[in-house]
Amino acid sequence: MSNIAIFLLIVLAPIYAAFFEGAQRVLKAKMQRRIGPPLMQPFYDMYKLMDKRALMVNKTHTLFALFYFFTLWILIAFIFLGFNLLYIIFLHLLASIILILAGFSVKSIFSHIGSNRKLLAIVAYEPILLLISVGIYMVYGTFEISVILNTPSQFLSLIFVYFAIILIIPAITKLSPFDAPKAHQEIVGGIEIEYGAIFYEFLYAAKFLEMIFAYSFIYILAGDNHIFGTFLVLFSFLLVNLIDNSTARIQISHMVKVILVLGIVLCSINILGSLLWA
Amino acid sequence: MGLEKYRKKSPWILHYNCGSCNGCDIEILAAMSPKYDLERFGILNNGNPKQSDIFLVTGPLTYRSRERLIELYTAMPEPKVVVAVGSCTCTGGVFSDMYNVENGIDSYIPVDVYIPGCAASPELIIDGVVKGLEILEKKTKEIEKPKKLLGKLDEKEETINRTRFAGNILGKDDETSN
Repeated sequence: MSNIAIFLLIVLAPIYAAFFEGAQRVLKAKMQRRIGPPLMQPFYDMYKLMDKRALMVNKTHTLFALFYFFTLWILIAFIFLGFNLLYIIFLHLLASIILILAGFSVKSIFSHIGSNRKLLAIVAYEPILLLISVGIYMVYGTFEISVILNTPSQFLSLIFVYFAIILIIPAITKLSPFDAPKAHQEIVGGIEIEYGAIFYEFLYAAKFLEMIFAYSFIYILAGDNHIFGTFLVLFSFLLVNLIDNSTARIQISHMVKVILVLGIVLCSINILGSLLWA
Repeated sequence: MGLEKYRKKSPWILHYNCGSCNGCDIEILAAMSPKYDLERFGILNNGNPKQSDIFLVTGPLTYRSRERLIELYTAMPEPKVVVAVGSCTCTGGVFSDMYNVENGIDSYIPVDVYIPGCAASPELIIDGVVKGLEILEKKTKEIEKPKKLLGKLDEKEETINRTRFAGNILGKDDETSN
């Protein structure tokens, strides 16, 4: 890809990611035989939130939302520039920690519950993310995304890693059955509860960037076969939304157990397999 | 800025039950369900006052729920629209003049749309919300105050404290009911 294309992909990331979110809402509606909102709905929401009277609980709380959004944006830039996989995982961890601090910087009890649950979610999916990157390293021999994307595709030897990624995508993008950290109506959005008007938009847009982060791992699995990578991302998008529509939210403690046990088993099979057949 | 026209494209709803029999609440949930599919207009049942535009209230307003009603109303950022769903919320309905009930919510907060019916049907609720959207489009961002409020809510101040307004409205009534 030329430098200009990469630059545009980075700068326009929140905009095309919003279409990703719009497509997700339409897809979910179609699966339930509804008409669903228009594709541009995230933009309408953004304009509406910009038009509301600004609400701020305290300055720290608001600043953390901005930090979270921009850290994720830098993270997306690092992905497109082909940086090391481990840097990206730890930068994502930093972004999540900022979000948790935001949750603890207000008095609302629901915000605190949301932060606690987000911490538990990190305990669940962060080790799996690391194991996934180790699994990719065992097959492709490097952590550098730019090198992986120029190596011949070895997707079949990463099939269990693929299942592990499918397992943790709902936890990262807060979809059912692993949406306990957000838990709409139960704890009213958790960390999001105290944000209003334009400042909520940053958290809303950060959700789209998280989606890019999560699905980029699937794209990386396909190596230099970019058409297969795109197909794989679209298929996983369908699969994740199907799971989201057909399952109910599970308890946070069950979520931690399920993700850790299943994720470690899946990744271990893949890593051991690539050790034995190397 | 010309952003007013997008208000009606993504109205988020806050639903509060101040002593309703649950009839109207079920009808509101029915209007959200796949059959009527309110999401096709961008409507979401948000449940968070700080991110909502439309305040759907059901119930005749019992003494115990007045405080919450005013807290929720003041926590919503302007522009906002209040829709009273059902006969109880408009006038008190079958509960009117009972010892523990205020007759409707409009003696406490300004109401923009009244939806009659016991219980109001989903079609009526959708019509009422659409009527509310027309009003929402014309509203300004000026602070809207509840009718009974002993806290301070002044736009001229640098920071506006929106919490703990309703603490004083109970006063004597509450002591006697205990």
